[in-house]
Order: sequence, then C-alpha cells, then structure tokens
Amino acid sequence: MGLTTFLVRRAVTFVPTLLGVLLITYLIAYAVPTDPVRAWVGEKLMNPERLQEIREKYRFDRPWYEQFAFLVSELLSGRLEDPVRQRNVFTELFYRFPITVEVALIGFIFLVLIGIPLGVLAAVKKDSFIDFFVRIFALTGSSLPAFVLYYFLILGFFVYTHTTYLAGIPYPTQTCRDWIGSLPTTYPYVGNFISAIGSVPMFGAAMCGEWFVVADTFKRLYLPGLALGLLNGGFIARIVRNSLLDALGSEYVLFAKARGLKKLRIWRHVLKNAMIPVVTVLGINFGGLLSGAVIAETVFNIPGMGRYMYDSITRLNFPAIIAATFLFAIIYIVTNLVVDILYAAIDPRIRY
Amino acid sequence: MSIVKAVYEALVKVINFYVLVRDKLSPGWSTKNSSRVKEWKLMAYAFSKSKIGVLGGMIVFVVTLLAIIGPLLAWEPYWEYKVVEDPELWYHPPCIPPWCSGYPLLGTDEWGRDIISLSFYGFRISFVISLFVVFLGAPLGILLGLVAGYKGGLIDEVIMRLTDIFIAFPGLILAIAFASVFPQRIRAFLEANTLLRDFLSFIFGLRPNEYAQLAAILSVWVAMVIVWWPGYARIVRGSVLSVREQPFIEAAKLVGLPTRKILIKHVLPNVLSPILVMMTFDLATATLFAAALSFLGLGPQEPVPELGYLISKAGNFFPERTAHIVLYYGTILLVIALGWNLLGDALRDVLDPRTRRSIEFREGG
Repeated sequence: MGLTTFLVRRAVTFVPTLLGVLLITYLIAYAVPTDPVRAWVGEKLMNPERLQEIREKYRFDRPWYEQFAFLVSELLSGRLEDPVRQRNVFTELFYRFPITVEVALIGFIFLVLIGIPLGVLAAVKKDSFIDFFVRIFALTGSSLPAFVLYYFLILGFFVYTHTTYLAGIPYPTQTCRDWIGSLPTTYPYVGNFISAIGSVPMFGAAMCGEWFVVADTFKRLYLPGLALGLLNGGFIARIVRNSLLDALGSEYVLFAKARGLKKLRIWRHVLKNAMIPVVTVLGINFGGLLSGAVIAETVFNIPGMGRYMYDSITRLNFPAIIAATFLFAIIYIVTNLVVDILYAAIDPRIRY
Repeated sequence: MSIVKAVYEALVKVINFYVLVRDKLSPGWSTKNSSRVKEWKLMAYAFSKSKIGVLGGMIVFVVTLLAIIGPLLAWEPYWEYKVVEDPELWYHPPCIPPWCSGYPLLGTDEWGRDIISLSFYGFRISFVISLFVVFLGAPLGILLGLVAGYKGGLIDEVIMRLTDIFIAFPGLILAIAFASVFPQRIRAFLEANTLLRDFLSFIFGLRPNEYAQLAAILSVWVAMVIVWWPGYARIVRGSVLSVREQPFIEAAKLVGLPTRKILIKHVLPNVLSPILVMMTFDLATATLFAAALSFLGLGPQEPVPELGYLISKAGNFFPERTAHIVLYYGTILLVIALGWNLLGDALRDVLDPRTRRSIEFREGG
C-alpha cells in the first residue's frame, strides 16, 4: 500500500469520526433542560423581540436535526457566529488557538528536556539509584493533583521570587502584526502559510525580529511548562527507559557487538528502534496539549482554548462548543496521522 | 526481610481461605486447580518481594479503611457552620498545643469547620467516586472490546468507530459538558426516589437531604464513566485478536460451547492481567480527575466537603491564609493516588509471566 492510498483510507475513516464527535457534542448540548437563548442574551439586553430574532436565526423553532444541520453547514462555510460575543467563532478561535499553541510548545520543550535525558540515564544505569529515582519521579508525577502543584509553583516562582507574571500574553507590536497580516496579499499561497505561522504571537515576533517579545513569552509561560514537565516528565522517562532496554536486549545488538561495531554505531541503531513508542506517546501528549489544559489555564490565567471551551459550556454557547470540538477532533486526527507518518520516517520496515 | 515474610504469609492465608471456600462450594475444586493455586502463591511471593508494591498495598489498605470508617470518625458534622457563633473561626490558622489552645490543630476553613474532621468526609467521597467510575467503566469497555475483537467484521468496525469518536473527544471537555447538563435531570429523579437517595447518601457519607449535591456527584460520575470505557475497549480488543487464533479457542468452538461461555471462561481470563493493572492505575487517575472536576466547580457545592472543591475554595485566599489547607488536602489526594499507582506498578511486574519468572521462587516460603 502506497502512502497515497493510506492517506485516502485514513481520510475516509475520519469523516464518520468527525461527524460522530460533532453529533454527540450537539446531542449532549441539546439535552440541557434550560433555554440557551436566555443564557446567550443576558439579563441586560433581554427583550422578547431579540429572543425571537435569535431563536429564528439558530433555527430553534425547528426539530433538532435541522438545527444540527444548520450549525454544521454554517461551521463548514465559516459563517458560524458566536452568539455570546457576537462575532464569528473563527475570529475567536484564531485569537485563542495560537496562545494554546505557545503554551503547548513551551510545555513540550520541558517535557522532552526532562523526560528523554532522564530516561536514557535510567536505561544506561539500570537498577542504580537514578533508575529508582526515575521510577519514583514518574509515580509521584502521575499521583500529584495538578492544581495543587500549580498553586505551590506560583507560590515559589511568583509570590516569593517574582520570576514570572500571571497577567496578559505578550504580543508583537502593531506594525509587525500589520506586516504579517499583509503577507497573503503580497505573496499568494506561501504568504498564507507564513502568516498562519506568524499568527502565533511568539513566532510572529520572531519573524519581525522583536526578540524581547519572544523572551517575554518564555518568561510568562515557562511556569505551566515546568509544571507539565514535572507531572509527565517521569512518565516519558519510563517509556524511554523501557523501550531503550528492549532495544538494547535484542538480537541485532548482540550481532552488532559480535561483528565489532563501534559503540556509537550500535547506539544509532538502538535509538532508531527505541524511538517508536516514544514518538507515539509524545505525539499523543502534544495533541492533548493543543486541546488546551483547562485547569492550567484557569490557575495561570491564560486565555487559551481550554478556558474558551469551559466558558462556552457553562454559558451553553452551542455554536462555540461545536466549533471548538470540531477543531479538537481535527487536532486529534492530524496528530495521529503525523505520528503514523513519523513511524515510517523513523523505521524503514514500516511502509504504508 | 520480616515484612516480606509477613506479607507473603498473609497473602497465602487469603489464598488458602479462598481455596477452602471454593472447595466447600464444589468438592474437588482444589485438586482440579492445584496448578492454578500454585501460580497464585508464586504471584504472592513475587509481590511480597517488591518493596514498592508492599508500600502501595499498605497505603491502599489504610486508605480503604479510612474511607470506610471516615465519616464515623469525623468529630464535627460538616453541615455545622461554627463561624456564625465565633468569628475568630474564619480561616483560623493552625493551632499547635504548647503555643495556642482552644482551636483545631490544623485550623479551620471559611465556615469554621475543623479541617481534619472535614477531610474524613472528603476521603469517603473521593474514594467512592473513583471505585464507581473504574468498576463501571472497565466492565463496559471490557465487554465491548471482547465482543468487537471476537466477532470481528461489521460489529468490530462499528464498535471501534464508536470508541474512536469517544477517544477523539478530549476527556475533560466531555466530562465538563456532562457535569453542566446532567445535574438538573438526576436531581428530579433523586427527589422522586427516596430509597435510592437514602442509599446513595449513605454510601457517600452525606445527609439524605443533600440530594441536589448528590445529583452533582452522580453527574460527575456518569461523565467519567463515559470518558473511561474506550481505553479498556481498545486494549481488550487488541489482546482478544491474538487470543482468538489460539488452538484452545478452536477446541472450545468445536466442542460446541456457546459464544458467551467461550468469551467469559476462555477468552477473558487470558486478557485479564493487563486490565487489572490498568484498573489499579485508573483508580488513581479517577480520584484526581474527579477532584479536578470539582476544582473547576462542576462537582458538588456547599456544604459537601469534596476535596477538589475544598481546595478550590481555599485557593481564593492562597497563600496568606490557606497555604496549609491546600497542602493538607493536596497531600491526601497525593497519598490516595500514590497508593494505587505504587500497587499498580508492582502488579504490572507480578502479573506479567515474563518478569515473574525472573523472581526466584521458594516453595512454601
């Protein structure tokens, strides 16, 4: 099976998954016994005409499947409006998602920096003190209630030492943002891609050479990243260790040693083979991070996707919920696909 | 060394007792299953050699005991707001005997309730929720995974697509959606069913007239069960696929056993050990997950002392007045989860035949 057929097959199986996710979201939302329109409008602007207008706009007088079809078609054509904030949901998502990307990236850096070296050390010095430490570190990390760790990190790094701050997100200057916004018109296609990358504040600032914004971003967001590294780093280290030990104990290593290969060459083979489970777990972890961490965003005061989803759900904001879920499902699908393709890139024995 | 021996002997006693009961129920059971019993004793020995596992087992034992008798031990009812009588009790700091007296040891919360006494109720609630979630979510997933893996074809495809949909869904989000939607419905149901209400409030160690809060707890629980099963379905299906091709399944089919019996008696025992390990780990995850949901304000509210909710309230005055409260409740959650995780880590080694064989076995101990 070639890569194209594989991709086509994947795409076909993903369509029902995507629709299923949307449908289930909608049905859960539909089961709410209260009137969502009242929650959207709010007490101040409440009057019968306005309620009626919104009811008609979102097809609340029709059966549920027509409402659902309306929501999905509006979503796919990019016209869906967030009734609470009264603007296009995609405007809102394009504001929130880049921030989540930043948080996820910084968290991921910590995860890799803590997890992989510890795992390699534990595998090289098996059954030593460091191996035992990694085991305990992993178990404690997965047993810690995240929010308690966040509180004490804030106590240590913000209240006592002021090495970070907890308000706002650093953005590049207006001229820089204007320049990035103008890219698609000056360079068609390539410009679109570059401007999409530039919409992440950190990357945008880097493109304009505003390095102080990048530094500020790290200063603002390293604490949630560090927390993530402490919570999940041990788990990653354990996986690195186990897969490395599996690879080191295999027959091809024995054969390579018997042939008198240099240590460095042997390690290259071992690393390549041991990387597969590690890539899977890291990939899935990154996908999870991109859906936003509600608790971290609440405690660290970050206006990302998780917070947006939480606010939308508590205000029964169905259009926003549907749009955000759609984005989450796509992220899940894409990360899985990327992980599968990475397999083939790492291990030539795997072909699609 | 003595601990190893004591743990091993205790486990062997439990196994012997079980064998005795089975033998009474169906005579001849012990001779028929002697090799299986021997295997169990081997597992018991391997387990007693694992320091981490014994520590985890002890923690789990103590936590279970505390969860059972906790609400009886609590010396202050959680619904009494003492701050009304004595304003000094509003977030009273810890009061350690030689320097201060007349106030609770670890201080009080915003309603003047003793923090330690309150935590006993929280213990019970967290423990029961995690048990409920895992012991309902796991069988559901196992059942679906068994059927999908064994039947194959269209049924497999449908079940696995469904599993995919639920996995593609971020767990916390689904749980939030449920927790915000369900309480009203369950509440009406509980209002009507006095018997169910009394039973549930007894299990959670709460007053029966707290049914609005019970509804919130139940909705957290329903939400978590829905998030929980897909993982099990996937793992079970994977292992069933390999077990299905074994000769003994073929033999069972030829003898003419019904599918239900083949699945339960021949397929399930062969896929059970990874599931047991996963369940142990998940008891830890479920405890933390439930606490996280209440932390976000989606679980029970006043006056129910759920640990996550108590922490989120204490967080409002963090760190000046409440650092010790957050630390204390956080440690309780950490200890519960750590107990399950340590136990699971040891069980993984013990239940895996490859690693178990490497642990030297002494007959009789």
